[in-house]
Amino acid sequence: MEILEGRNLRKTYKLSRKNTVEALKGVEISIGQGEMVAIMGPSGSGKSTLMHILGLLHAPDPNHGPAPELFLAGQNVAALSDNDRTKLRARRMGFVFQDFNLVPTLTAIENVLLACDYAGIKGGAAKTAALEALGLVGLADRANHKPSELSGGEQQRVAIARALVNKPEIILADEPTGNLDSERSAEVLALLRQFNREHGQTIVLVTHDSEVGEACDRIIRMRDGRIRDHGLQASARALGGQPVAASA
Amino acid sequence: MRLLRDLGRRKLRSFLTITGIAIGIMALVVFGSMANKMNALINGGSKYYADKDVVSIGSMFSGNFQPLSLSDVEKIKLVDGVAVATPAIDMLLDDSTTATMGTPEMISGSIAGGDQGLENFKVYAASGRLLTKDDTGNQVVLGSDLARKMNASVGSTVTLRSTQFQVVGILEPTLTAPDKSAMVPLGAAQQLFLKTLPPMLQNAVNVNELATSIIVYPNKGVSPETLKTRLEAALGKSYTVMDGKDFDAMLGSISTIFSLVLTGVAMLSLLVGGLSTINTMAMSVAERTREIGIKRAIGASRWRIRREVVLESAAIGLMAGLIGLAIGAVMTTVFNDLGRPSGNVLFDLTLGTALTAVVFATGLGAVAGFVPAWHASRLDPVTALRYE
Repeated sequence: MEILEGRNLRKTYKLSRKNTVEALKGVEISIGQGEMVAIMGPSGSGKSTLMHILGLLHAPDPNHGPAPELFLAGQNVAALSDNDRTKLRARRMGFVFQDFNLVPTLTAIENVLLACDYAGIKGGAAKTAALEALGLVGLADRANHKPSELSGGEQQRVAIARALVNKPEIILADEPTGNLDSERSAEVLALLRQFNREHGQTIVLVTHDSEVGEACDRIIRMRDGRIRDHGLQASARALGGQPVAASA
Repeated sequence: MRLLRDLGRRKLRSFLTITGIAIGIMALVVFGSMANKMNALINGGSKYYADKDVVSIGSMFSGNFQPLSLSDVEKIKLVDGVAVATPAIDMLLDDSTTATMGTPEMISGSIAGGDQGLENFKVYAASGRLLTKDDTGNQVVLGSDLARKMNASVGSTVTLRSTQFQVVGILEPTLTAPDKSAMVPLGAAQQLFLKTLPPMLQNAVNVNELATSIIVYPNKGVSPETLKTRLEAALGKSYTVMDGKDFDAMLGSISTIFSLVLTGVAMLSLLVGGLSTINTMAMSVAERTREIGIKRAIGASRWRIRREVVLESAAIGLMAGLIGLAIGAVMTTVFNDLGRPSGNVLFDLTLGTALTAVVFATGLGAVAGFVPAWHASRLDPVTALRYE
C-alpha cells in the first residue's frame, strides 16, 4: 500500500520580478507504507522542494496542464488550505532537520511536548508520551536540559523524539546527519532504521551522503527538478529491511 | 511560564517598554484620582443645591457680590411656594486665597435650625456637637480638613480673621465643601463680614441685618425651577437666583475640562505605549523568525502563533499596568499625606480607577501585539527555518 503518491508535482519560486526558479518540473513519486527512502541529488536538483511538498510545508503549484495530485494514505491533499495542511503536519507527520531546529529557550522535554500540544495531546498523556519518546532515543535522563547543554548528536535525537512523539505515519528528515560526525551520523541513522523496522515507520530522508543513502531501502535520484531514477521499489518488510541496491 | 521566560530573555528591551507604559499608566492613575476627588466635590455641591434656590446680589462665584439685607428675607417669604427662607453669610476664610485646587476655605454663618428641618444635605459631628440656637457668641464647628490643618480639637480656640473662636464640634468628612468650612453663628459671621466692607459702607449698614445669601426652600410640590422664576419676578433684576441646574451648568464645565485632560493623558500613553510595544514585539518576532518557522513546521497553526505573540504583548501591558498602578498609588498617597496638614487632599484613588488602569494597559498591550502577531503568522515556515 502506498502511503504517499504524487503526480504532476511542480513548483516555481519567484525570487524577484524577473527571476524565477523552476524547482520541480513535474514529478511523479510513490512511497510505500513502511518504506525507508532516501532522496538524493546535487544541490538545486529539487530534492528539498520535493520534500517540502511531500511534508505539506508547501503546496504544489496549481498547474496549467494536468492538476497536481498528492495522496496521503489515499486522501488527495494537493489543494488543501494552509490551515488543513498545518493540521496534517501536526498529527500525521514528523520532521527532522539538518540543524536540529529545537526551540532554544525550551528544555528537551518541552520541545517534545510542543509537538504533542500542536497535535492536540495535552496534560498527563502528553507528558507520558514525551518521556517515552525521549526514552526511545536514549535521552530520558536529559529531559530537563536546554538544547545548548546538549551535544549535536543529542540535539538531533531530541528532534527525532519530537518527530516521533505523535506516532506519525511519515517521518521526513532533511539532511538529518548533515551536521554530525560519522559516529553520530551512524547513531542517528541506526535510530531511524530501528523505528522503521520495529514500528513500521515510513521514513523519507533527503541526503547528500551516499552512505546514508545506501542504508535506506531505496534511493530516489533527482536532477534538474525531475526524478531520474526511482530506485528498485521492494517491500522493505519482505526483505527483512535489507538495503536494496539501486545503482544509477 | 514559557511566556515569562520569553520576556525574560530580552530583559532590557522588555524593561524599557514596560517602563514606558508604566509611566503613562501612572499618569492615568494620578489624574484619574484627582478627577475622582474633583467629581466628589462637584457632586457634593450638586446634591446641596439640588432642592433649593439661593438668592444673592451679584454672584458668589464671580466675586462682585453685594450684601443683602434681612428685609429681603421677609420679602422672599411672601412669595408663593416658599416654605422657608433663611439668611446666610459665606466668606473666604482668608482674603489672600487665590485659585485653589478644589473648594476654598470658607467661613459660613447661618442660623442654627433656620432650615426648619428641610435641608437634605446633612452634616454630622465626628466629635463635639453641631451649632444650636443657644450659640450666640464666637463658637465654631470646623470641617474635617480645616480642623486637621488648624490642629484644632473640641474645646480648643482658633483664630478666624483675627477673631478668637471656641471650637465646639468637628464634622465628619463629607469629601466636599463643608470639609474646608468653619461654621459659625450668623451673628458672629455678620461681625466678621462687616470688617471686610469698605469703611464708608461699614457705617452705613446695620450689622444685624447683613447677609450674603438667602437660602430658599420650596414648598412640597413646588420645584426649585418654578420657584426661581417666581423669585426673580418678585425681587427684580438686581438679584441673582441660583438653583441646582445653574450650579450643575456652572461646574459641569470644570468636570468636562478634567475629563478632557484625563482623556488626553490616556491617549498619549496609548500612543507612546502602544508604539513602543509594537516595536518591541516586532523586534521580538524578527528575532524569533526561525523559532516561529520551527513551530509552524511541526504543526503550530497561524492562530497559535498569533495567540502566542498577542499573549506575550498583553503580558507586557499587564505588568506595566500593575507597576504603573503601584507607582501611582504610592504617589497619590504621598501627595495626600504631604497635603493633609494644609488641607489639600487632592487625590482619591478608587477601585474603579485602579481596575480601569490595569485593564487599559493590558488591552493596550494586546492590541499593540496584533500587528506583529499578524506578521509572524504569515511567515512561510520553510523560509523562516532558513532565517539566520
